[in-house]
Amino acid sequence: MPRLDRLPQISRNNLLTFPAQVNDTTPFVRPAKPLAACRLAIVTTAGLHRRGDRPFTPGDQTYRVIPSDTPTADIMQSHTSIGFDRVPTMRDVNISFPIDRLRERVSRGQLGGLAPDCYSFMGAQREVARIEAETGPEVARRLLAAGVDVALVTPT
Amino acid sequence: MLARALELAGIATTSISLVREHTEKVKPPRALWVPFPFGMALGRPDDPELQHRVLGAALDLLDEPAGPVLRDFPEDAEPGDQPAAPPQASGIKPAEQVPDDVAMETTQMRRYHERWLEKSGGRTQLGLTGIPATRFRGVVRFLEGFADGQDVDMPERPSDVPLPNFVRYCADDLKALYFEGHLAMKPSEGGEAIARWFWGETAAGGLLRRVRDRLDASADPRWKAAAFGIAR
Repeated sequence: MPRLDRLPQISRNNLLTFPAQVNDTTPFVRPAKPLAACRLAIVTTAGLHRRGDRPFTPGDQTYRVIPSDTPTADIMQSHTSIGFDRVPTMRDVNISFPIDRLRERVSRGQLGGLAPDCYSFMGAQREVARIEAETGPEVARRLLAAGVDVALVTPT
Repeated sequence: MLARALELAGIATTSISLVREHTEKVKPPRALWVPFPFGMALGRPDDPELQHRVLGAALDLLDEPAGPVLRDFPEDAEPGDQPAAPPQASGIKPAEQVPDDVAMETTQMRRYHERWLEKSGGRTQLGLTGIPATRFRGVVRFLEGFADGQDVDMPERPSDVPLPNFVRYCADDLKALYFEGHLAMKPSEGGEAIARWFWGETAAGGLLRRVRDRLDASADPRWKAAAFGIAR
């Protein structure tokens, strides 16, 4: 899921008419190191941020920085929608921002480490030109400057 | 799309995909399609084992020699106990006897919410308005005035946040107070049962329906969008 045939018709139509970008080719780089030596950052489009940080508004193409040592309890979501249930996020923010799971992987030696900062964008974006040309590349530059090898991209 | 921008800059990415049909078009470098509802990309809350399996499957894609890679999370791992989407306010009939004193009800919910905070170690989705729960009677007064068609505002609204957006933050914070307070009382209830309770049995649910009606009656698309985000 959301398997389209299981969604209410209005949600299904919304998704079928969603202006998803159509691409013919794909950029592809292989990580230079094994995962156990890689530094990873979460880059989410779930509209998450620290409590007290500026909430997102619908269609907002800016980003928020979530330091990787932010206590899980201080992470919240301003992407709300009648199209999804907020209760799972209330129970456990790892449902879209698996920071505790990644910390566990680092402590087990399966992952080299977490980047100092993770990044968050708003979800359900119909217009993405500014993310593509400006804020996305800006986050990429910041990740590179922080020595990040791998980004895990998670949706709402 | 975002993964592509990062990969173009030289960072290897792996993504979790919820809508396979969109991912097939966008073609991110590596994507794991998961059979879960929106808002549940890692599977199920408080289920670290399932979350690790999803995460591991997404990270495994980094070993692939070429892309784009779009792999499906194994079918048999689907929990199968989750509704595709929560029920909408319009599909929930309010009970015959619904309390009408939202301020009093909110004060009571705040006590349950305090229990939630104790149990969850301070975890809460409340905080979009920046107004603490102890001052929610003011938020309720504002929403009631707004629903009644009055020209109301709150000093806490930042000058660059338009009124309909702030109304929506207020509604989302009020929902968080009630939903999380309800979870403190009935920890095992899912989003569907809580939505039925909120829209069917609470004074706050009735108030948000009226807030939605005023926003929706506007010709301004931003007001209509806020209405759609609050209740449908």
